[in-house]
Amino acid sequence: MANYLAQFQSIKSSCDHIVIAVEDVSDLWPTVKSGFEERLPFKRACLNNKTRNPVLVEKLPAEFILTTDARLRSRFPQEQLLFWFREPYATVVLVTCEDLDEFKTILKPRLKLIVQNDEREWFIVFVSRAHPSNDQATKMAKKVYAKLEVDFNSKKRERCCKLDIHGPEPDFWEDLESKIMESIRNTLDKRVQFYEDEIRKLSEQRFMPVWNFCNFFILKESLAFMFEMAHLHEDALREYDELELCYLETVNMTGKQREFGGVEHGDDQAALLNPGNKALTEIVQDDSFREFEFRQYLFACQSQLLFKLNRPFEVASRSYSFIISFSKALAQHENILPFCVREVWVITACLALIDATSSHYNEGLAAPDIEKEFYRLLGDLYSLCRIKFMRLAYLIGYGTDIERSPVNSASLSMLPWPKPSIWPSVPPDASSEVLAKEKIILQATPRVKHFGIQRKPLPLEPSALLREANRRRASLSAGNMFEMFDGSGSDTSLKMSPSNKVQAISMPRTNSSPSNFESSIDRPMRLAEIFVASEHALQHTISNPDLWKSLASVEEFEQKYLELTKGAADNYHRSWWKRHGVVLDGEIAAVCFKYGNYDLAAKSYEKVCALYSGEGWQDLLAEVLPNLAECQKILNDKAGYLSSCVRLLSLDKGLFSTKERQAFQSEVISFAHGEMKDPVPLDVSSLITFSGNPGPPLELCDGDPGTLSFTVWSGFPDDITLDSLSLTLTATYNADEGAKALKSSTATVLKPGRNTITVDLPPQKPGSYVLGVLTGHIGHLRFRSHSFSKVGPADSDDFMSYEKPTRPILKVSNPRPLVDLAAAISSPLLINEAQWVGIIVRPIDYSLKGAVLHIDTGPGLKIEETHFIEMESYINVSQCANNKANCHGTRKDCSLNADKDFEQLHLHDGRIQLPDWASDWTSILWIPIRAVNNSLARGSSSVAPQRQSIVDGMRTIALKLEFGVSHNQIFDRTIAVHFTDPFHVSTRVADKCSDGTLLLQVILHSQVNASLTINDAWLDLQDGFVHTRQGDRRPISGFFPLVISPTSRAGILFSICLGKTIAEDEVESVQPDSILNIRYGISGDRAVGAHSPVTVESSGTEDAKQGLIFQSALILQRPVLDPSLAVGFLPLPSDGLRVGQLVNMKWRVERLKDFESEASQHNDEVLYEVNANADNWMIAGRKRGHVSLPTKQGSRIVISILCVPLVAGYVRPPQLGLPGVDEANISCNPPGPHLICVLPPTLSSSFCIPA
Amino acid sequence: MIVCVAVVGHQNNPLYIQSFTEADDALKLHHIVHCSLDVVDERVNNPKKSGPTLNETFLGLLYPTENYKVQYVFFSYGYLTNTKVKFILVTTDLDVRDADVRNFFRRFHAAYVDAVSNPFHVPGKKITSRTFAERVSTIVKSFGLSSAT
Repeated sequence: MANYLAQFQSIKSSCDHIVIAVEDVSDLWPTVKSGFEERLPFKRACLNNKTRNPVLVEKLPAEFILTTDARLRSRFPQEQLLFWFREPYATVVLVTCEDLDEFKTILKPRLKLIVQNDEREWFIVFVSRAHPSNDQATKMAKKVYAKLEVDFNSKKRERCCKLDIHGPEPDFWEDLESKIMESIRNTLDKRVQFYEDEIRKLSEQRFMPVWNFCNFFILKESLAFMFEMAHLHEDALREYDELELCYLETVNMTGKQREFGGVEHGDDQAALLNPGNKALTEIVQDDSFREFEFRQYLFACQSQLLFKLNRPFEVASRSYSFIISFSKALAQHENILPFCVREVWVITACLALIDATSSHYNEGLAAPDIEKEFYRLLGDLYSLCRIKFMRLAYLIGYGTDIERSPVNSASLSMLPWPKPSIWPSVPPDASSEVLAKEKIILQATPRVKHFGIQRKPLPLEPSALLREANRRRASLSAGNMFEMFDGSGSDTSLKMSPSNKVQAISMPRTNSSPSNFESSIDRPMRLAEIFVASEHALQHTISNPDLWKSLASVEEFEQKYLELTKGAADNYHRSWWKRHGVVLDGEIAAVCFKYGNYDLAAKSYEKVCALYSGEGWQDLLAEVLPNLAECQKILNDKAGYLSSCVRLLSLDKGLFSTKERQAFQSEVISFAHGEMKDPVPLDVSSLITFSGNPGPPLELCDGDPGTLSFTVWSGFPDDITLDSLSLTLTATYNADEGAKALKSSTATVLKPGRNTITVDLPPQKPGSYVLGVLTGHIGHLRFRSHSFSKVGPADSDDFMSYEKPTRPILKVSNPRPLVDLAAAISSPLLINEAQWVGIIVRPIDYSLKGAVLHIDTGPGLKIEETHFIEMESYINVSQCANNKANCHGTRKDCSLNADKDFEQLHLHDGRIQLPDWASDWTSILWIPIRAVNNSLARGSSSVAPQRQSIVDGMRTIALKLEFGVSHNQIFDRTIAVHFTDPFHVSTRVADKCSDGTLLLQVILHSQVNASLTINDAWLDLQDGFVHTRQGDRRPISGFFPLVISPTSRAGILFSICLGKTIAEDEVESVQPDSILNIRYGISGDRAVGAHSPVTVESSGTEDAKQGLIFQSALILQRPVLDPSLAVGFLPLPSDGLRVGQLVNMKWRVERLKDFESEASQHNDEVLYEVNANADNWMIAGRKRGHVSLPTKQGSRIVISILCVPLVAGYVRPPQLGLPGVDEANISCNPPGPHLICVLPPTLSSSFCIPA
Repeated sequence: MIVCVAVVGHQNNPLYIQSFTEADDALKLHHIVHCSLDVVDERVNNPKKSGPTLNETFLGLLYPTENYKVQYVFFSYGYLTNTKVKFILVTTDLDVRDADVRNFFRRFHAAYVDAVSNPFHVPGKKITSRTFAERVSTIVKSFGLSSAT
């Protein structure tokens, strides 16, 4: 069967669609041909696939071929079976007949003969040529057709249809199509069944020796081809997939050594998309095919089907794994293949597939994730191609032009060298080329990195090429000669780093030249020779002129290299694999840089750096960042360059040597102090970090300035001088409040590591503050750092947490009382005497150091400036008591406190400087002050005691305390000090003797919190009174000294009697009141209340102490001697008064004598006034008014007023006064004030009565 | 031979990376590990692709390149926190049994958990524990042995 291979191929190439046979019985084809062929290709064909599921095929191409055609006739039956797929899938029998007899006799037998072959799917098309106007003919045609239907239709299937040439038959074509389709479907099913059976039969023999893969292949591919013709591409693809699997199994079957292929010219170019690249007959080997060609053939068939299915994505995905696996297969057979065929094949395969798939691919064709995957695959293909291309370039000596980046190193150094059986040797006439290469190698200088960074370049080779190549050569000759004589040198060359290449090249030479081996066996090749040899070998291998051209020179190589890298990067960027894309951008940047395209290079490098730094891959970043910096320097991008330097400095310290780090710093500094026009902003957050000092935050009171110290960590390797430094504080509570900058005035030198900086802090608003931003200048450089460090230096890998919880560094408390000034005592002091006024100065957790107190005494107060002001520490009595109670040890403290600090101070311009010892402790300030009151104290009657108003003795002292660090705090307080007379005097007539002597009792109420000693007292009486004992103004009994304890009372009796008034009229008129004089002494504590006056105290004599004089005026009222009017309070109703009850108060006013004195027109009118306590009484009516009272003696009048008592109890009733008449002329009844009883209101029973 | 193992944090930041090659070429291994994160991202972001293996921590072979393989495990504590720490392994062995790798990762993971359980370890920071490094190198060595047998 394998012999049919060639024929099979030709058949396959000649037919690519389904054939429908036309049995033209009645020569009708020319007439209907155009109508039939118009229907082609069939739209919407419904076929069954291999699993007998219906599949809708759009546009099924087909061809009508007459059975008489040569193509259908000249076939051998044997062939027919094998190539059954090309046989007609349906047979259309075209007949016409106008006569029933003719049908019966001639046509029917003939038709029977035609359709008896069951193999064929047939149906009959009856063509009626009868014109519609010709009724006869039409009828006849109908009859014949009816007969035809009876004869050929079966119950299961209708096999006839009728076409009226002259009549419109729209249904016919649908009918025809469905019949054709039914036939095709049936045929297809039958044939699929046949092939499947055949294939199964063959498969069962697979492990038998007779098994022939070619036969299996022909059957399988026939089936696949049939599916393809029927446009059932899915099924065709499945067949090819199965074929591939089966083939790989055969290949891997052990024991059968087969030729691999791939040694022919042009085999280096992959034929992954062209199944017809080589005829199958050429690659047949024994009972199978050569692997190299056949696998590519299968892949080509598959990819064609996939393209037809519009699935370029799948082509790409299959191709990548195919290339990988095929490349492995190539590696296995590398020893028989030409030099580097594997690499070249991969390159061409990748390029071809990229071309094909991307040209078949329309954007947006697939779902987004599939599209991404597709681009990823393209990227992979590009990148694979790129790696192999670089490998080839390295082999021919372009290694120096390949960037030794991590990506290149990762791909190349892990990619083994090609392993030809013999490494190619130098062609004899290539000595000039060798020299040229050698020159290039010698001239090549490894590019020096910016900043003088010394790095061991990454390897691009899995092992030293020199050794590898020579080993492969030497193994041919006398063992591993190279290693034999290279002895010591081999070790060095093994570990030889690429940077030492120049040395390495010379080494074998120096080693070998003195040796004797040179002539006898192959001299080891030098590197240049290896390059030349590879170049020549490659030239033989590579059949694609384009590929060879791109390896012909360094420039061409770089061109192609760039193209591939860009391709890979672009596609990766469109896929999920962003990192791959960005990294390759870095490679593009390297080439751009080389060609002076710094702008592009910088952009790409920036992307790479952003990627690495974003994810914290510092090692990789350290590799790229210097390149970026170099670009930026060349582009004169100062800000960028400086920020790159800073980033370099802030990388892990282990990544660069100290020297390199110093170089970075010196770059920054030289730029900063160089000729920059404008200040360049620079973010040094990663390099200079700052934090508050550990411990609690600095606490300040509102309005206080202070100094703030904080820690700055410098990441610079050396000291760095900051021309200025300022720090902002941010209030935590209100963000709107602009951060305030604190400036450090002088230049600061930052040491590497930890530095403590102190700045002055102006008064801040209340709130808590955190560190904000650190800014400053280095030369023209305006730097800024916003990163806080916790305790240690900046965590370099802490790239993700810029937002750290910040600890407040400063707390400015809300305004609160910082100090309190209060009067030491509340009890009154002596008026008109110099008294110590105590002011307690109590600092509240705040130092009063340097505080100044302004004292402004109000009116009526005078500071005794002749005296010092005393200050002493103050112990609260209760505190001391507490302390005592607490423990015994404190007793000592108490006693310690007891010997108080004491100091005398001077008052200057109303200001006192407080002493330092008093700055933290509560102290008391004693100020000698005299309250001045010129009015005379007045006594009162004991019947109607007239209380002295406290306000009279009240004086105020305005105090202003300036304190705080810079006297910024001010405390104002006005304190009230109460002054009073030592006594309040009240009098009463104790007894009225029958001889006219009055015993006047003078009651002294002590007003002060001190004990008073009365040494003497005398009374200067007013006119009309005289002492009983003439000339002795003193009291009856002399119990002096009389001691009166605080707030108690004492009484003194004076014996007086009424005297003549007229005689002493002129003299006594001066003194309307009696004056009580008291000489007294006071003994009190200034800490408690009134005390002996300052002046007296200082003079010290006992006399003076006791010699204080107190005077009080007393009013003595003479009895009414000349009554002219009598006022009588008329009795009230006997049932008593009740609260709320109206009562008529009545007074009777009567003239006791004629009122003939000073004539006045108002004589007959009397002015009255009712006085009542408004709390007790409500008065309805006129309180004050005139009533007429005749001037005649005995005339009387009653004044009545309606009143309502408001409170119950004994109250003083309203009093009627006559303001117009002198009191001495009024006789009252009752004579003095009296009380009346007011009952509580009656209970209201109205609510209690039951309804 | 295992040439490199790495622990990568949930922000794709390297937490621990150790190469086991003699040559001074750690950088290229950094690159390989870093780029392999693309695949991690791809699979994590495309639940369709990773299919039903979301709870499966082992995601298998990642780079079907010709000459080295990157295996990685995508690890997530579904029941605790989504720490999303990745373990990545680069090996030059072309034929590695899945079971070996799984076993390796299980032990590696245990070592990692012990290392980060150290109260002095700051989560999200590089693992500097020497004990961890020693343990990892032991695991790596034993991986070579077990695969040989």
